[in-house]
Amino acid sequence: MTGSHANPEDLDLYALDALDGEEKQTLEAHLRACPACQQQLAAARQRTALIGLAAPPAAPRPQVKSSLMDKVRTEKQSGATQIVPSNTRKKRWGLRFSLGFGLATALLAFATYEFAKQDLDRGKQLQQLQAQLSEDAAALQAMGQVTGAPDSAQITLLQQPNGPPGQAHVLYNARMGLGVYSGQIAPAPSGKSYQLWLVPSSGAPANAGLVDANQQNGAVVVRLAPGLAPKAFAVTLEPLGGRPQPTGPMVLVGSAG
Amino acid sequence: MTATMQPAPDSALMDRMRTGDEAAFSALYDRYSAMLFGMLTRILRDQQAAEEVLQDLFLQLWRNAGQFDAARGSLPAWLMVIGRNRAISRLRGRRDREVLEEEEGDYANTFASGQNIEDETVRAELARSVSAALGQLPVEQRQAVELAYFEGMTQSEIANKTGIPLGTVKTRVRTAMQTLRRILG
Repeated sequence: MTGSHANPEDLDLYALDALDGEEKQTLEAHLRACPACQQQLAAARQRTALIGLAAPPAAPRPQVKSSLMDKVRTEKQSGATQIVPSNTRKKRWGLRFSLGFGLATALLAFATYEFAKQDLDRGKQLQQLQAQLSEDAAALQAMGQVTGAPDSAQITLLQQPNGPPGQAHVLYNARMGLGVYSGQIAPAPSGKSYQLWLVPSSGAPANAGLVDANQQNGAVVVRLAPGLAPKAFAVTLEPLGGRPQPTGPMVLVGSAG
Repeated sequence: MTATMQPAPDSALMDRMRTGDEAAFSALYDRYSAMLFGMLTRILRDQQAAEEVLQDLFLQLWRNAGQFDAARGSLPAWLMVIGRNRAISRLRGRRDREVLEEEEGDYANTFASGQNIEDETVRAELARSVSAALGQLPVEQRQAVELAYFEGMTQSEIANKTGIPLGTVKTRVRTAMQTLRRILG
């Protein structure tokens, strides 16, 4: 360290993943609290990423692309891939089990009656409510599929050392790519979101969407690519709105094994 | 007279991909697969493993197209950083770095704005500059950097592998990175 900031050389080595032991821990502790050095680290990543260009380009076999395009086509046709706009939440359904679907339907009937007596603006609210209930109905159907399948598994996610208190459960069916999450964690700090991940035995974690701190009474249904078997599920603390890949600490983890 | 076709910028292809346009995805694959496959093959020294990582990487790009924000970093930068992470993880069985170290912020501006590597000619020129910069390093420094980058070794691991004192390894890697910083900016 030089004065109050990290050495440029240390940042280079960290970007290379070459630091270890106490040096790494000390630098990481500093980085967590120093936005200026975080910026310098981004520049260091620039230099280290460039090193990869020293490897001569090599064309992969044509079969690699054709197989990839087949997978993309299959996912597109099955609707397994959800391409969502930037900074929007992955589509999910807030089931309110405490109310129950029947009660929700009754509420819709009541709302229809009430809103019919009101002006057209209320009509918009009615449409929104109908859309929400329609999603709830779809979620309820999905829930039935998962709970009724003999090859579904329940994974309990437990809090991590020095992490916020909490616990959650994921009921998941890998064959269908369908799961239901419920649980409770201490409220996320301001500007942060909790995000659920399916961690496969190989490859990158799959984004299973955002979850609220209190998801005890309202489960979240997530859809992932069918056939993706989980090694574990994890909840991480991410910047508001979540990230495509985990960046923050794991607060809950549960092994599927 | 024939008009010269300008390649579509990454941002336009990404926009199209968000709508499910397979042709845009195909174009991005054609643009960056050789660059990535070269790096992955060098790290993994196994063509099949490199192909699998390459496929996973592009499949993730397809699945998460809607969440990629070009304003936060360039696409090739993301592909290079995440691709390397995955290859090293696979090489060394260090799944932890995949789970926790694919930090979106880390690749922001990885390739500076002045380096438009969407263009194949510019990309090739930059690759030549990097190779030349590495070539200017003394052999022992270059080897230390390559062990760190392409094999994912820490300084201690390099010292253990080569039998060179840790302090010497540290000096070599630091000096090499200082030189690269000076040459590559």
